[in-house]
Amino acid sequence: MRGLSVFISDIRNCHNKEQERLRVDKELGNIRTRFKNEKGLSPYEKKKYVWKMLYIYMLGYDVDFGHMETVSLISAPKYPEKQVGYIVTSCLLNENNDFLRMVGNIGGKEFSESLAPDVQKLLISSSCRPVVRKKAALCLLRLYRKNPDVVNIDGWADRMAQLLDERDLGVLTSVMSLFVSLVSNNAEAYWNCLPKCVRILERLARNQDIPQEYTYYGIPSPWLQVKTMRALQYFPTIEDPNARRALFEVLQRILMGTDVVKNVNKNNASHAVLFEALALVMHLDAEKEMMSQCVALLGKFIAVREPNIRYLGLENMTRMLLVTDVQDIIKRHQAQIITSLKDPDISIRRRALDLLYGMCDITNAKEIVEELLQYLNTAEFAMREELSLKAAILAEKFAPDLSWYVDVILQLIDKAGDFVSDDIWYRVVQFVTNNEDLQSYAAAKAREYLDKPALHETMVKVSAYLLGEYGHLLARRPGCSPKELFAIINDKLPTVSTSTVAILLSTYAKILMHTQPPDVGLQQQILTIFKKYESYIDVEIQQRAVEYFELSRKGSALADVLAEMPKFPEREAEDAEVDTAEQSAIKLRSQQQTSSALVVADHPSANGSAPAANHLTLVKMPSQTVSDAQEISATYEEAPKPSVEAPNGNGPIEVESKATNITEINNEIKVEPPTSRSTSPADLLADLLGPLAIEGPPAAELHPAQGLDANQSPVGDLALATLEDQSNSVQPTVNVEEKFHILCTKDSGVLYEDPHIQIGLKAEWRAHHGRLVLFLGNKNTSPLMSVRALILPPSHLKMELSSVPDTIPPRAQVQVPLEVANLRASRDVAVLDFSYTFGTALVDAKLRLPVVLNKFLQPITLTPEEFFPQWKALTVHSLKVQEVVKGVKPMPLPEMANLFMSLHLAVAPGLDNNPNNLVACTTFFSEATRAMLCLVEGIHQGTFGRHPKDSGSPSSCPSTATIAFCSTCHIQ
Amino acid sequence: MPVAASAIYFLNLRGDVLINRLYRDDVGGNMVDAFRMHIMQTKELGTCPVRQIGGCSFLYMRISNVYIVIVVSSNANVACAFKFVVEAVALFKSYFGGAFDEDAIRNNFVLIYELLDEIMDFGYPQNLSPEILKLYITQEGVRSPFSSKASDKPVPNATLQVTGAVGWRREGLMYKKNEVFLDIVESVNLLMSSKGSVLRCDVTGKILMKCFLSGMPDLKLGLNDKIGLEKEAQLKSRPTKSGKTIELDDVTFHQCVNLTRFNSEKTVSFVPPDGEFELMKYRITEGVNLPFRVLPTIKELGRTRMEINVKVKSVFGAKMFALGVVVKVPVPKQTAKTSFQTTSGKAKYNASIDSLVWKIRKFPGQTEATMSAEVELISTMGEKKSWNRPPIQMEFQVPMFTASGLRVRFLKVWEKSGYNTVEWVRYITRAGSYEIRC
Repeated sequence: MRGLSVFISDIRNCHNKEQERLRVDKELGNIRTRFKNEKGLSPYEKKKYVWKMLYIYMLGYDVDFGHMETVSLISAPKYPEKQVGYIVTSCLLNENNDFLRMVGNIGGKEFSESLAPDVQKLLISSSCRPVVRKKAALCLLRLYRKNPDVVNIDGWADRMAQLLDERDLGVLTSVMSLFVSLVSNNAEAYWNCLPKCVRILERLARNQDIPQEYTYYGIPSPWLQVKTMRALQYFPTIEDPNARRALFEVLQRILMGTDVVKNVNKNNASHAVLFEALALVMHLDAEKEMMSQCVALLGKFIAVREPNIRYLGLENMTRMLLVTDVQDIIKRHQAQIITSLKDPDISIRRRALDLLYGMCDITNAKEIVEELLQYLNTAEFAMREELSLKAAILAEKFAPDLSWYVDVILQLIDKAGDFVSDDIWYRVVQFVTNNEDLQSYAAAKAREYLDKPALHETMVKVSAYLLGEYGHLLARRPGCSPKELFAIINDKLPTVSTSTVAILLSTYAKILMHTQPPDVGLQQQILTIFKKYESYIDVEIQQRAVEYFELSRKGSALADVLAEMPKFPEREAEDAEVDTAEQSAIKLRSQQQTSSALVVADHPSANGSAPAANHLTLVKMPSQTVSDAQEISATYEEAPKPSVEAPNGNGPIEVESKATNITEINNEIKVEPPTSRSTSPADLLADLLGPLAIEGPPAAELHPAQGLDANQSPVGDLALATLEDQSNSVQPTVNVEEKFHILCTKDSGVLYEDPHIQIGLKAEWRAHHGRLVLFLGNKNTSPLMSVRALILPPSHLKMELSSVPDTIPPRAQVQVPLEVANLRASRDVAVLDFSYTFGTALVDAKLRLPVVLNKFLQPITLTPEEFFPQWKALTVHSLKVQEVVKGVKPMPLPEMANLFMSLHLAVAPGLDNNPNNLVACTTFFSEATRAMLCLVEGIHQGTFGRHPKDSGSPSSCPSTATIAFCSTCHIQ
Repeated sequence: MPVAASAIYFLNLRGDVLINRLYRDDVGGNMVDAFRMHIMQTKELGTCPVRQIGGCSFLYMRISNVYIVIVVSSNANVACAFKFVVEAVALFKSYFGGAFDEDAIRNNFVLIYELLDEIMDFGYPQNLSPEILKLYITQEGVRSPFSSKASDKPVPNATLQVTGAVGWRREGLMYKKNEVFLDIVESVNLLMSSKGSVLRCDVTGKILMKCFLSGMPDLKLGLNDKIGLEKEAQLKSRPTKSGKTIELDDVTFHQCVNLTRFNSEKTVSFVPPDGEFELMKYRITEGVNLPFRVLPTIKELGRTRMEINVKVKSVFGAKMFALGVVVKVPVPKQTAKTSFQTTSGKAKYNASIDSLVWKIRKFPGQTEATMSAEVELISTMGEKKSWNRPPIQMEFQVPMFTASGLRVRFLKVWEKSGYNTVEWVRYITRAGSYEIRC
């Protein structure tokens, strides 16, 4: 057909899309004219134009005419014309088209039902030619997709097994396609086919009995191999040891036998097989040796020049990360992955970034984050936002020490200010505020950055904030007197936007407050600025200016009002946060647009009026105890004597002891310490100006044990006494107390850290079992000797600690698994007695392990209809416990709900008719009791106590003044 | 003067860099990747010539099959940058002898680098005049000073040229015959509704000049524009001549025109550069004489047939004629068969632009021509998309006719030696976007 080949060569000779379009339009015009010709077309011409139509359609152009001609070809007498007719009809018309009715009674359920038995017969019959059976298998697959009922599962499992014994590879490939489809719907039914699949793979891998025409570049039928392995992945596991061994042998052979060669086609085929094999290895959770072999192979791939192979290598490595235990092996290729970050191909750079992000952990975080920061300079804009977000997340997640974290984030803001969302600098501020030893360091850093000539606005914000809060800590350093600080910050004032102006005004007010003795000149300057902004168009700034101006005349009272910001409530579940961040990164990539609202869901200052979802990650700071609550709310009223209360009553450590005091009624179940310690953020905000919040906690926290008095229960004694004798020369660099509380609601994090060692913890909980892993990381360049760890389990917990190595090599991390089983409910806490020698010094730390009661809870959501029958059916009174806790700080409803959620209590709406009460239920697991239903109620008690500050907003409840806990447990 | 460019890139349609030059180091080397990612590979290409990506501004324009991209990181003068690009392209064209496209760039790498070095310095545009640059950036070989044969031409002094009072003209030019050619070229843009009322109409015109004059002549041009005539009448204290006067909008002059004299006396006087140049540009929005009227009737007869009837009337002087008249009547995409009847010219169906194309080579003034066509459509599978009837487009050229009515009243040449000159004046009107809705 010359016309067709001329047309195709014309199209191929087109230099650009535009030329191609012109040529196609011309041809379409020609075809239309021909079809419209009265004289009609010869069968040959008709065939030619229909072929051309199909070619144009395949090029992606819209062809919406000529169907009549196509269909008429189907009824042509000659085979070539008929063939064209069928091919083009099946391409141009989709099955729902009415026009197809003209062709024949095609599709439909009844049709498939009536046809299926015949097709099945053809497939099974041994007298048919292979080509017919091949088509029958594919036809049955189509019918099955249309109507799954055509294949009766019971009968077919055996038949399928029989069919898989087929020797003819062509038929086998078609049958395997059908099999994959069947198994994907119902793997259970086809167990008996599993060994057959393994046998097929064996046959292919050993290259036994493979006809020449089914080998492709020396690979025996790669298509069948891939399909078989795909089918195997639908089975959850392979239990039969023989089959498993055989399969692993085959996989081993594939892994060993694949290499990068010159020929592209061979590469494609062998890699398709290889990657399917990798997927299968991952699916089967093979032994470590095999995994490491896979990683080694991938490592070879990512070093190859060919970009496609490199891409696949990186991508599969990222997938491998999901399987545990291979991180260490992947780490060996870190250098190579970092070079891939500089690849000219952006998709490879992206994969490399994903992989680096995934493989980052405490040991290599520093290196990777620094590499990312460096890469930020040269990265293109499309990636910068994602890159900076990832760097920030990694820095936060794996920071070996906090000053490094501050360094990294400040660098990040400096280098990629446009791409750093506000939340990232909010986090820095939170960290600095919550860590006193960091404050002067951060302020000094901020001061350094302010010296730079060109500064991003975010940098101005964070620097101004830090210097306002902690600038006075630098007062002795050169260039850091209040006057100089003011001058350098004020330089930036004319160039910044309104939101920054607001921060700068606060900074001025703070500087003014910290200037002791008052400097008249400076005061005058600052007051002039306040005066100037008193009539500013932005209301926020205007208000600040007016208020600060008035406040600054109050003299010494200023110091009380503008005291240092209190600590922020800690957030829980870094994982959740990372997930949202990751999701937003992915979303960002898919949208490819700049958005600044990245981690908004975790906004720290969101209070009751914000949507409930925002609070899921908030956990409250340990600043009050249940019993203290009353005292404290009393002291709120008589504010003048706060410091009396603080040292001996306000220590968060007391939670246990005091809580037990109140709830000694029954020891079967306890009120969760974190719950009782809760203070709403709204309250914290309300307390900002109160001196109590500022002066109280620090003293108590530095020596957490000192403030304890005698009224402790014996168990409490155990937990606390261990903490008392920390008379070591080496002091922890983190607040151990705080870390413990954080870990009570989170499953991973740092438990303890001092200049020599960092102990991290990761936990998984399932019913009444728990598996913890302690990460002992040596931070020094010399080994830590005679490391010892001993668990002092309370009576209700069964704990097994694996052996701890005697020495930890320099800069190494040791993992120590710890198994926990909960025997019954109790409030006691397990203690880890940990000691090591560094040089000559013996360091001994007694650490409470966050194996607390709420870890064994599992939230369940029940409707009233489901709940009450269950609840009432439980009548064994011996296990019924109920306790009421009064005097809990008032808190808006949504926050309360979030707090419950964070403690594994699921809020069940509708259990209580009063909307002001909050009811949550959960299941408690222990070995003695199995699953038990528990109920927690928060009851609104009118006008007791203070209202939350933002009670004007509609979504916060008027006042949940008191919360009562009624926990009732039954054997289910 | 503000910066115009930090870097300039020449890309082909695929986005490969053909040639580039960094003038300042405040932009990175990979900036063009950002351009490729954010502009070339998106639908935004061609929507806005200025884009800001990550603190850098990208200014780009497409010329034939080349994208010219200017990257600046500071607050740049965008108009200056675009003017620079246009002038640079004109310069390259004069060096390459006409064409400016990918192949021309590939064949002249060295020359382009040399020119790019010369025409911009640290982001500030320099001299872009081809006449002067050709004095010292030559394409021929350079004669060695040690060669025996002395060159017959004196070595031109480029420095003097650039710094002199009349930077655009060399001293000491000599022609046997002193001639001036003046072309007034206008293009008419029109949008007319189907009922024949004018929706939008304007004329953009330019006066092109070609001088072959000796010495340093001073020229003065008189047009029949309103301000010039009024001023003249006022100066000579005589009443304004009756007859048509034209109001010119948005006049731009070549740099040789003495603007102070234009402001005081409203006359266009200048010392012309040698050779061809564009003396002035203008725009006219009122009192436009349309050369053609078009009366279309289109009837859809059922689903598969259409009848099209187009009548074109020429309304310029009977002695004049239009050349290369093309009328493009859009038809639906599913057009299959067409048949035509025309009173003059030829018509045919062009499938690649989905139009009936009717061509008339010569169209005398004050006459009319008609074309009637029958169109058969092929039936399609999808439900019939309503045809939105794009406007009819027209192309033509009418010599010795100006749509604005602009005339040259005089062109005077003074030179010290007082030679005689021959002045040639031509007028031509072309169709810009001449559209009639149907």
